[in-house]
Amino acid sequence: MTVDALDPLIHVPARLQIVATLAALPDGDALSFTRLQDMIGLTPGNLITHLRKLEDADYLTSEKTGNGPASRTSVALTNHGRAALDTYTETLRSLLNGL
Amino acid sequence: MNETFDSDTTETDKDERGLDPRDAARLLVQTQRRAQRELDFRSPWLSLLAAAAALVAFGAVWLSVRAQHPYKGPTVVGLLGLYAVVAIRIATVVYAHRRATAGVSGRSVSQRRAEGATLGVALVAVYVLMGALANNGASDAVVYGVYVGTATLIVLGTFWAARSALREDSMGLGLSIAIMLIAAGSAFAGPRGVWLSDGVGLCVVLLGYSAAQTWLLRASRTDA
Repeated sequence: MTVDALDPLIHVPARLQIVATLAALPDGDALSFTRLQDMIGLTPGNLITHLRKLEDADYLTSEKTGNGPASRTSVALTNHGRAALDTYTETLRSLLNGL
Repeated sequence: MNETFDSDTTETDKDERGLDPRDAARLLVQTQRRAQRELDFRSPWLSLLAAAAALVAFGAVWLSVRAQHPYKGPTVVGLLGLYAVVAIRIATVVYAHRRATAGVSGRSVSQRRAEGATLGVALVAVYVLMGALANNGASDAVVYGVYVGTATLIVLGTFWAARSALREDSMGLGLSIAIMLIAAGSAFAGPRGVWLSDGVGLCVVLLGYSAAQTWLLRASRTDA
């Protein structure tokens, strides 16, 4: 097994942090964009680019509530995203055992 | 995504570089542990404060009743001490909880509201039953001593045990069972001794819980 077996969407530092952070929430919960940014320490532009990639792959969903300055975007991991992280973790474990 | 931030594509492209599997595993574990720690309101210092609060609150009541012959129940000063400490304790927990769950929405928020309402009703029921006991001629020693000190802690312990079991929190479950055992055992100490026994017992158990939390926290930081 090689590194190529790892999900390329998750196997990037920023996206790995995003997915691992959202996975710490109980199933059915979402995290606001600003709190996620605080926890990971990415710039807003950088974070939103990574979130878009994960959302396009159906690994997470986003929801915007409110309008104007009071608007708030929340993101949550989908079941597909949780399963992808589980698979990534298993693959990583197999790879490390083989090293 | 509907955010109106400018995407920093240069920075993102730089981040697209893959990771060494060992670095990836380390980053994954560190991120998971940090997220769990930041999203959880419980902490060793909060348990330490709870230990001190239990000792001061129950100690204040014990000081107010220890010389009563016959037993009449906690004095106004003793109860004021108890309620002041309980109010400070509630305020610190609410602050820590709000800080930890800032930005979190969804199912767990409504679950917590239902849990809070359940606990509130259970505590009101304890005091309604206390009124019924007094109304039916039970002695002050039973109503304002043994019963209220014991029943309140058993309700709190049962609530926290159920909550911990649902979340598969074995340390929380152990703490709840210890609280229920202390409450039941303290009832044998009589109307005056129940307050001292509850206060000292809770303080010891919470100190142990705080030490266990600190040990787990240090172990996870060392592993990461």
